[in-house]
Amino acid sequence: MAQSKKEILTKGFFKENPVFIIMLGLCPALGVSTQVINGLGMGVGVIFVLVFSNIFISLLKNIIPPSVRIPAYIVIIAAFVTIVEMVMHAYAPAIYQALGIYLPLIVVNCIILGRAEAFANRNSVFDSFLDGIGMGVGFTLALTMIALIREVFGAGTITLISIGNFSGVIKIPLLYKYPVRIMTLAAGALLLMGYLKAFFGYLEKRKGVN
Amino acid sequence: MKQMVKVGLILALLASVAATTLAVVNAVTAPKIALYEAQVVAEALKTVAGPYQIGESLEISDSTVSTLYSLLDEGQKSVGYIVQLTGVGYGGEMMMMVSYLNNGEVIDARLLANSETPGLGKKAEIPSYMEKFIGTGGTNSVPQSKGELSKEEADAVSGSSVTFAGVAKTVAYGSNLVKSLGGK
Repeated sequence: MAQSKKEILTKGFFKENPVFIIMLGLCPALGVSTQVINGLGMGVGVIFVLVFSNIFISLLKNIIPPSVRIPAYIVIIAAFVTIVEMVMHAYAPAIYQALGIYLPLIVVNCIILGRAEAFANRNSVFDSFLDGIGMGVGFTLALTMIALIREVFGAGTITLISIGNFSGVIKIPLLYKYPVRIMTLAAGALLLMGYLKAFFGYLEKRKGVN
Repeated sequence: MKQMVKVGLILALLASVAATTLAVVNAVTAPKIALYEAQVVAEALKTVAGPYQIGESLEISDSTVSTLYSLLDEGQKSVGYIVQLTGVGYGGEMMMMVSYLNNGEVIDARLLANSETPGLGKKAEIPSYMEKFIGTGGTNSVPQSKGELSKEEADAVSGSSVTFAGVAKTVAYGSNLVKSLGGK
């Protein structure tokens, strides 16, 4: 059954959330989610790459020979990732530095290649655009949620963008003094991911029962 | 055969369009990136110079050292050097700016451009990370392993041993270079 435009756009937010439900792109999701600003920065980068790679792969689906579709997708995705990298380096250097190695690794992010293969190469350009937006926003929401919990408990802060007199860092009184350090480490990220996966699984199951 | 040529041409065309697009974006962003990098270097120089003045610079063709800046006291007498170094960490090359007295003792250090892992090796960007090297390199040697650090310092580099080893090796290299110059 064909999906409605609204369903294509919104399925990535929760129902088919790439991180919590499909479990794709976990490596960068856990790697950069030490600060909220990193989650948002990575999310914006992934939305841009996902939307444009989906659009171009959908546009070229009848031109790219099936036998070389994966190398062709990689060329398209790598080009957009490099554009994001250069633009971030020039106009958002702090986020560029914070994302480090995870930024170029968007090229091999399973979400991007996964959506190209599972959606963009068999759907219209507009539907692929909507899918890119939905999955990208879903990834950003998941990343920001993980980063928010990890930063609040692990460092007692919420790091956003500094504007004017606002330094960009909100300090949480008690947690800032007595942070739960494990949350900033890889072990804390995996523990949290496990709890969140269980929580979303429970919600999904409850929804199914109802 | 004809099919293979066609597939090859399509891939080549795709790669050419991607390369052209990237060249255009690079032409727009490169000057902005260069300006930003120059600002970062200027700020790091000012920070690591501490109370001293920065004198003349000398470009060096070495795989680890790129530039030497002389450090002068109030009487314009040479007291040491700031060395711009390139070390190797977990994520590849790491650019560093380290100031030394003429006897090779570290005054201050900063990690600049790097690709270390966020949350682990990237912690070396925090100024307090470099405090463990300050005062070493002269009579005290630069710590090269976790065993040479206090418990607190060793905990701080936990999970980023390769980054620490890269930073330590690079700081020691700069110290030996400054010592070999003998304040000239």
